[in-house]
Parts: sequence; C-alpha cells; structure tokens
Amino acid sequence: MTKYLTLLKITWQNSLVYRLSLFTWRLRSFLSSLMSLTVWTVIFTSNNSAFGYSKESMITYIFLVAFLQSMIIASSLNGLASRLYSGEISNYLLKPINLFGLFAIQEIADKIKNLLFLFLESLFLFLIFKPIIVFPDLKLFLLFLIWSFGGLILNFIITLLFGSLGFWSPQVWGPKFLFFMILDFTAGKLFPLDILPIMLQKIIYLTPFPYLSFVQIQLFLNRLNSQDILKHTVILVFWIFILGTITNKIWKKGLKSYESVGI
Amino acid sequence: MITIKVSNLKKYFKVYKKEPGLWGSIKSLWKRSYETVKAVDDVSFEIAEGEIVGFIGQNGAGKTTTLKMLSGLLYPTDGKTTVLEFNPWDRKPEFQKQFALVMGQKNQLWWDLPAIESFHLNKAIYEIPDKIFDETLAKLSKILDVEDILRIQVRKLSLGQRMKCEIIAALLHNPKVLFLDEPTIGLDVVMQKTLRDFIKTYNKEFGATIILTSHYMGDVKELCERVIIIDKGHKVYDGKLADIINKYARNKILSLTLENSITKNDLEQFGTVKSFKNNQATLIVPRKEATKIASKILNQFKVNDLNIEEVPIEVVIREIFGAKKIH
Repeated sequence: MTKYLTLLKITWQNSLVYRLSLFTWRLRSFLSSLMSLTVWTVIFTSNNSAFGYSKESMITYIFLVAFLQSMIIASSLNGLASRLYSGEISNYLLKPINLFGLFAIQEIADKIKNLLFLFLESLFLFLIFKPIIVFPDLKLFLLFLIWSFGGLILNFIITLLFGSLGFWSPQVWGPKFLFFMILDFTAGKLFPLDILPIMLQKIIYLTPFPYLSFVQIQLFLNRLNSQDILKHTVILVFWIFILGTITNKIWKKGLKSYESVGI
Repeated sequence: MITIKVSNLKKYFKVYKKEPGLWGSIKSLWKRSYETVKAVDDVSFEIAEGEIVGFIGQNGAGKTTTLKMLSGLLYPTDGKTTVLEFNPWDRKPEFQKQFALVMGQKNQLWWDLPAIESFHLNKAIYEIPDKIFDETLAKLSKILDVEDILRIQVRKLSLGQRMKCEIIAALLHNPKVLFLDEPTIGLDVVMQKTLRDFIKTYNKEFGATIILTSHYMGDVKELCERVIIIDKGHKVYDGKLADIINKYARNKILSLTLENSITKNDLEQFGTVKSFKNNQATLIVPRKEATKIASKILNQFKVNDLNIEEVPIEVVIREIFGAKKIH
C-alpha cells in the first residue's frame, strides 16, 4: 500500500510543478461554469421555468455538472494512448507494480486535486450568483454519491479502452475527439438531455454516456421515480461489467503486441 | 547455476510498408502492404550466475529486442526464456524485484522532479527497507559522485549526471540480474571508466549476472570475458572475446622501424603497406605467414625495431558483419 501512497504524493508534486499551466487549466473550468450560470440566469430573468426546470433546479444543475465534470469526466489518462505508443509505460511494466493500480492512483490524485480547486471556485461562484441549491434527502444523496462513484469507474474503463488503441496506433485523437463531442451532448454537460426530442433521448439512453453525469444529476434533482432508479442502477452496473470485460481482454491482447518502442 | 536460459527465441514484427511519394500515401488509405521483420530469429544461449556477457551487434541487430524479452516487456513470437527460473512474461513481482534494465537512451526518472523523488518512489515500489535504502543510496551516490545533484530537477542535469542517477535508480533494490543497454552512451571518457569500474565491482560484490550491450568496444573489452554476437536477428558467435581473433582474424599487423631509407615499393612485395613515413612502416600481412614474412624482412633490410600485433577487435568484428556467411 505504501507504494501507491508514495506514487500519489509524487504525482501531486509533479502536477504542481508548472504553475501557469495549473492556473490556466483551472481558469478554463471556472469560466465554463461562469458562462453557463450567466446564460441560464439571463434566461430565467423573464421566465420562472424553462424546459421543465425551475431556476433553482437549473442553477443546481450547473453546479452539479461542474462537480461531476471534475469527479467523473476529467481524466489524467487522456494521453494514455501516446504514453503506450511511445513506450513510456515500459518503466512500470518492469517494476513490481500493478499497471491498473498505477493508472487508478494517477486518476485519484487528479480527482482529489480537482475537488480542492472546485471547492474554492464554487465559493466564488456562490458569492457572485448567491444561488439557492436544492438538496435531496439523505437517502437519495447517498445513492447519488454511489452512482457518481459508479460513473467514475465507468469513465475510467472507457478511458482505458480508448487508451488501449495506443498499442496499435499513436494517432488516437480522431476517435477521442469524437468521443468528447458525443460526450458533451450525451452526458448532459451542455444542457439537460430531457430537453431533447423523445426519440433522440431513447437512442442516447442505449449508450453508456448518460451514466457519466446526466442520470446522477436527475437523481440529485429528485426527477426519477423508484422504478427509474432501479433501472438505471442495473444499467450502470451492466455497462461497468461489459466494458470492463472488453477492456480487460483488449489490454491483455495489447500487451502481447506491445512493441515497447523508444526504450 | 544457470541464471538465464534462452532457447529458440524469436520475435517477429509486422511492419507497414509504404510506397514512396504522395501517391503512395494516398494509396495507403485503402490498401496497405505489410512485411514481417525478424528482429530476433531462433536465438539460444545460457548464462551462468555471476557472468558478465557482452552483446555485440550492429544497430537493429536484435540486441535490445532480446533484452526486452528477457525483461518481460515483449512477448516472444516463439521460443522459451527463463531468468532466475521465472518466465519473464509472467511479470511476477518476485522476479521483478531481482532484476533491472538500464537503457542508456531512455529514462525512468521523473523529468520535472529532483532525482531523489524518483529514488523514494522506487524504494516504495520495490519495498526496500529504510536502512538498506539509506546505505545503498549513500554508497552509490558517493561512488558515482552525485551527492550534490540529487535535489536538482532531472531535466536540468547534464546527460552524464542523469545517466548516473539512472544507474542509481536501477540498482537501489540490489538486483541479481542486470541488463545494461548502452550504459555509457554519451558519457565522457573519465565517466565511462568510472562506470565500467563500478559495473565490475557490482558484479564481484553481489555475484550479479550482467548482460551488456555497447557500441564502445572499450566497455566490452574491459568487462566481458564472453561475448555473444548477433547479426540480423541471428546469433553468429558465442564464446570468449579473445577467441574471436583466433577464429576470425585473417591478418596481423607488422610495425617496422628501419635504419636505412628504402622505398615503399620495396615493402609492397611482403603485404599491404598501411603507412610509410620517416623510415617507419606498418604492414598488413596474412596471419599464418606473419612470422615468415617478418624473418624475410629482417634478412633483407636493416631493421631497428619490429613488432607483430593482432588487428584490433573492432576491425575483426567489422569484418564479421561484412562477411556474407560466417557460420
């Protein structure tokens, strides 16, 4: 266990070396929330509700998106494919350390850092917009945390799956970019999915993407009945299981054809 | 005891072959041809505990690929490998704690942090007890003279300093088996010497088994009694370094200092004149006739000094690679 703790510490140290990059990266995320809040506040100045969302719900929605973006979708492993292709992971394949453990630690380090910054940034936003956040009851809140953790695992698996392309090709930005585009639309990051036509919603629900933020938010905002809750829990577990199995198989195959170039 | 056993090891890579030019690139969008490159082809050898073996070969001969298979990084296309009785590919922690691979051209140190941070990480990864870590680190940094640079960002270090830190990082867990791939690359002559001495000491002190690849024959000559020569994925020689000369050298070198002035032509009947200046000459003569020719020269001219030398090992090895068939 000590090895993973040391790895966590060194990952943090490494990410704090370049202050400008750290600052601008956080600024980007802060501005994104600021923009959404401004837009929706303007929309709600003339209406009491829009697309079935009250002002409070929508503001809560935006804060939740920022939180889940940092917790679930933001990943330190987006460059994994090029790390594989360039042979960088060879260093770790030689050592008595579990590769997935290593990636998990890098993710955890990244997410804890995100949360710390997010907390500070949210304080600012609170001071500016003075919003009223609607909180669910304790039972739902706990389930929300569990679902968020599930979403985190699901995103970790999807990131590893994309990363594994690096075993065969260095140029994975094409598929990755497509993934980000789809994600922006289907995880509910830009707008709530339920403002889309029913047909489109149905199609989106066949993919794992809504489980990377949207269903969690719906749960938090108390917009799901107990039948929905059960259904989504089953589907979330299903996706984790299916994609986890596929990813595991592909990694085993990938490691066999790994060329360990450069090193 | 046999530490490393390799039998009929093969590694083939599938390589995409692009036709030249823009049209070739466009065509490759829908049709690609691949060819198989045999990086390592049917190589077998055994290495006993405590041996230092030199791997010699030209660029792309398959040396590094073999080392990577021995380390468990690459999955062999065919053949069997055991290192310390483990199959490297299984990547068992008990195995990984007993070996290290040092690559002269790549680093394992965290680039943006001081080397000491990477050392602490290795300490945790290899589960090295505090006391042993402190002792080993103190000893290694003293021998390699890096005590005052351990807290400087790795990217700010010179190549030589970085290489020394790489070696320390690789040896903190006192590995029993060491794979050194071009460890002296880019180092100055003094540093090369220090490193060679260090490798020698490490081998004696720990009884470590070492495979070394190097472009500098100096490294190999000083460290390795035994060498394995690999060419185009095949093993072409496995034996004592000294025996290479007996087996493959076709010529010897005659160096003369003459008392009277003679012409270059006078000497050319004996062999190839490599240099001729101020009554000093160097001749390349067939190995078997070297003594006979020497005595003829002594009879014919007034000679102050005469030396018969072996050709340098570098030249012999160059000839081996140049020859079409040497089996």
